[in-house]
Amino acid sequence: MKSSKGMITKIFGIGTIPVATLVIMLALCASKGVVMFETQGNWIAFFRAVTSVMLTTFALSINLNSGRFDFSIGSISMISSIVASQICISMGFTTPVMLLISLVSGIFFGTLSGLIYIIVKLPPIIVSLGVTLFYEGFAFAITDGYGVSFVANTELTSFPSVLNYSIIILAGLAVIIFLFDYTKFGYNYKALLSGQKVSVNTGIKEVPNAVGCYAVAGGLMGVVGFISATNTGNIQMALNFGSIGVMFTAFLPMFIGGFIGRFCNERIGYVLGAVTTALISLMYARLNVDSSIQQITTALILVGFLIYLNNEGKLKKLIKG
Amino acid sequence: MKKLLAMILCIALCMSTVVGCGSTSGEGNAAADTTNQPAESAGTDEDAEEQTTAQGGMDAVAELDMSKTVKIGVLVSDSTTAESLAFQNYYKEYIAKNYNVELMYSDELVDAAGEKSAIDTFITNNCKAVISFSSFDRMAQLNQCADAGVYYAVATGTLTNDEYESVKTNEYYVGAIGPSLDVEFQAGYDMAKHYLDQGKKNFAIFGGALPYYTEMHIYRAAGMLMAMVEAGGEGANYQGATDKDGIVGKIFETATIETGSIGSINILGYVGGYDMDEAWFAKCGQMAQMDGLEVILAVGNGSDFFGTSAQGTDVKIASVDAYASAYGEAMEAGMLDYLAGKFSASIGPIFAATYRAALGSPIRNSEGNALALDQGYWVATSSEQFNEYYAVDSSVESPAYTKDMLDTLLTADYAAFSEFVGKYSFDDIKAIQ
Repeated sequence: MKSSKGMITKIFGIGTIPVATLVIMLALCASKGVVMFETQGNWIAFFRAVTSVMLTTFALSINLNSGRFDFSIGSISMISSIVASQICISMGFTTPVMLLISLVSGIFFGTLSGLIYIIVKLPPIIVSLGVTLFYEGFAFAITDGYGVSFVANTELTSFPSVLNYSIIILAGLAVIIFLFDYTKFGYNYKALLSGQKVSVNTGIKEVPNAVGCYAVAGGLMGVVGFISATNTGNIQMALNFGSIGVMFTAFLPMFIGGFIGRFCNERIGYVLGAVTTALISLMYARLNVDSSIQQITTALILVGFLIYLNNEGKLKKLIKG
Repeated sequence: MKKLLAMILCIALCMSTVVGCGSTSGEGNAAADTTNQPAESAGTDEDAEEQTTAQGGMDAVAELDMSKTVKIGVLVSDSTTAESLAFQNYYKEYIAKNYNVELMYSDELVDAAGEKSAIDTFITNNCKAVISFSSFDRMAQLNQCADAGVYYAVATGTLTNDEYESVKTNEYYVGAIGPSLDVEFQAGYDMAKHYLDQGKKNFAIFGGALPYYTEMHIYRAAGMLMAMVEAGGEGANYQGATDKDGIVGKIFETATIETGSIGSINILGYVGGYDMDEAWFAKCGQMAQMDGLEVILAVGNGSDFFGTSAQGTDVKIASVDAYASAYGEAMEAGMLDYLAGKFSASIGPIFAATYRAALGSPIRNSEGNALALDQGYWVATSSEQFNEYYAVDSSVESPAYTKDMLDTLLTADYAAFSEFVGKYSFDDIKAIQ
């Protein structure tokens, strides 16, 4: 009896936010006479958003949960996709190769970012700002400022499809769960999260673990860059912290994921957070919502959710009378 | 060793801010003026001709002493668009190598405070003139330059009539050469008419920076709508407006383009802004794949945002931007059908005017007023035409405006200068060459 009650609580906790969001978004679209998932393009846009946001949320949370605020993930996404697309365009490589090169270059640039943090020993927020400018400047320099355009390359722009995005979602989730829940690296990561000094005293080496976290985050952002580049067939340049905006797309799903993570694996929570965000994004697109209204709405949802989290105990008391 | 490595990394990180923010002393970036265009342009070719033909212009000036290096500051508000990079290339690879000048570039400016700070730097570095591609507060820029005895010029833009009236006699104001809002309106009008004449009836519009009240984008969109009103048959109107001022006013009211019918012409979709987030890309995708859509008219770059989504359809994409190789590839692949592009050498005449002012021979009309001249776009409607224009536009050996041509401007009177600038079409320029 107790077990089934616990199961119901779990299911309720896991499903409430995404299901409620889905119902609300469908209702909003229906009220305007719009079918939310009308065409294949709508499904592709939804799955693309889930994939990008999920990977960005993983990348952001890996370091943020350890107290390392990393502004450079957007610039790693940009520089990785530039390196990969330039190699593939010049060598005539196919889309899977571009994905692989994006992943590897993301790992490289992430590792470099982690090594700089370790060597310089400045606060991570400062280091990541410097690294962001460095990568943005580097990307600008290697493309002469023009970015990369391959809109006419039908091979490299053929990637967007529900199936391809689904594969990345499943593979990404599996790799992250494996890395952080079933490896020594993951155990050390969790131990360092719960108490760095004690963990170090027990023999855990925090430096390789931190560099590993940056490498994993870099790899994830390399894939995000690949998804973004193959969607439009071009990579726009960003200077003066113009790439930082990418990380802010991950805050709402990260908080939602954190909440859902109480009832299941936290990574699955992040996926459901990404699904929730993608549903909202698709509603914005289907109803052609003005960007200023989008920003206000998203900010209100985020603030409202944080207010709820901070006052959850009081609310429960209030409800129980 | 570790400390040394740490120090080197610290220095590298600090230096990266310089890399990220652009560069100076001839290695930086000229850029397009893409925001906050004036409400109404000050003076046009016609105005200039009226002023000059009536008065006969000034006499040709004496030979200039070009033996000393002249430092000129360049204010930049954009370093990453195709247009701004093309301008940069022309100044850096051609002008700086053919004239005895040192061009100092600002960082990528984001506000008026940055403009002020950059001009302070120019003045401190003994710049004799400033060419501005940044438009956050042009009057403040000019006043700051004038107070320091530094010449000031506006590139690829114009001042409002009121602004021009207030500064036209300022001895340190060289003038402005670029597309006026009338030219922007005409660019949009010509683009839409090109397809309306082919019998197209179902359009979508990409508004670019229209939601941010960027006037050049608003005027281009208004031009498109005007052409649709004219082609839409009896009673056709846009939200009740049937003339230029009315349509511009309607767009200013809402900062958007309303979808619907204009007589027999349909606006099926509209996307504005440059949000670049998931929702925005989804909007772009669904607009490009709308049932029945025939043409996407973009006030800015269209093929980069709609090209892949429109793949495999018969949707035509028309853009306003510059002549960049990526657009050539898009045109060849059928993803871009029409391009109204600024040519990179279009900023040559304003350089000539600024340079001669710095050398002590500023150009003024017969009434002693500064330059206010219009320039328009090169329009390519086929891959062959694009390639022909691009070959000239991207050349750093023989660009559209060569040194020989610009040299004539250094000693030209106002009438000759105005006539030269007025002949900006590709064929006109080839004829002059």
